[in-house]
Amino acid sequence: MGSVEPFRKLHARWGGQVHFLVVEVRQAHPGPDYPRHTSAEQKLEEAREHHQEANAPWITLVDDLQGTVHQVYGGLSDPSYLIDAEGRVAFYNLWSYAPVLYEAIARLLEQGGRGVVMGGVNRLPHLGPAVTDGWPAIQRGLPQSLVDLETAMPGGGALLWLGHQARPLLAPLTLRAKPLPQGLTLGLAAGAALVGFALGCWLLGARGTEALAFPRRRTNGQTAPELANATPTHLPPRLPVAETVSG
Amino acid sequence: MVETRDSLTEFRNLDHTLDEETYNFEHFRTRHLLSDAWRTLQTRGIPPGEVAPDFLLPRVGGGTVRLSDLRGKPVLLRFGSFT
Repeated sequence: MGSVEPFRKLHARWGGQVHFLVVEVRQAHPGPDYPRHTSAEQKLEEAREHHQEANAPWITLVDDLQGTVHQVYGGLSDPSYLIDAEGRVAFYNLWSYAPVLYEAIARLLEQGGRGVVMGGVNRLPHLGPAVTDGWPAIQRGLPQSLVDLETAMPGGGALLWLGHQARPLLAPLTLRAKPLPQGLTLGLAAGAALVGFALGCWLLGARGTEALAFPRRRTNGQTAPELANATPTHLPPRLPVAETVSG
Repeated sequence: MVETRDSLTEFRNLDHTLDEETYNFEHFRTRHLLSDAWRTLQTRGIPPGEVAPDFLLPRVGGGTVRLSDLRGKPVLLRFGSFT
């Protein structure tokens, strides 16, 4: 499902005004302890386990084995739909991201719970929550889930593990439910651009701008004038004139 | 038990619906990543403004929930996996 924590924060804020439903779908990263579903009973039992482990305050539903409802609604791995009070789709978040859903819910309620909000669709995969909290899902399917993920996306498993180790640092930013204030978002973007620029300058400074246009020459510690007067060592030695054969 | 507003047969005949064996894959592969990417580009799903397809699904803890019974208040519907 992706990170539960931001979803729980969403529910804490909006649960009194919005019904929260989670539909349990196929195993995304199956493994020995949690293999692919082969019976409705297995799927229901694992959904119950998922619900309890998350200490979920929302309603958890279980799709059929073929994933009929999941496929009808697009079949993506982690989508969310905000459905208005008349049963129409108000907003489709293809890759569930709590701050986006937070704002969508707020806007929908502002307009009486009806209609489309925020252009209706957000397609952007937000990697922060996945990197910060994705490792427990892979852990459930170990070792197969990790082997499969690394095979399908080299480095993906390692990234999730590293993100999990850095969770205390990342969580305040990546597992929030509320959108960042616009000023802070701009500030973070500017900061990231500055860091990228500084890194680029450092890399250029370390190599020298000439190194980008000309091949690197070994100087052996010689100064520029010494280099200018030095005999090139890559040319064959010049023969003395007296030794030239004539006749 | 699943009922949808449109018939199950109609959806099963669509070229993008997967059979049970394919849907419940045994190993996560690159093609599943690519499928997600493709579906994202296509914005595969229910378009904004359309009526959300109704369903009746079993609920953890007992009983069932029908989506259309929840009208009158917005619904946040999320799809997710334990792994």
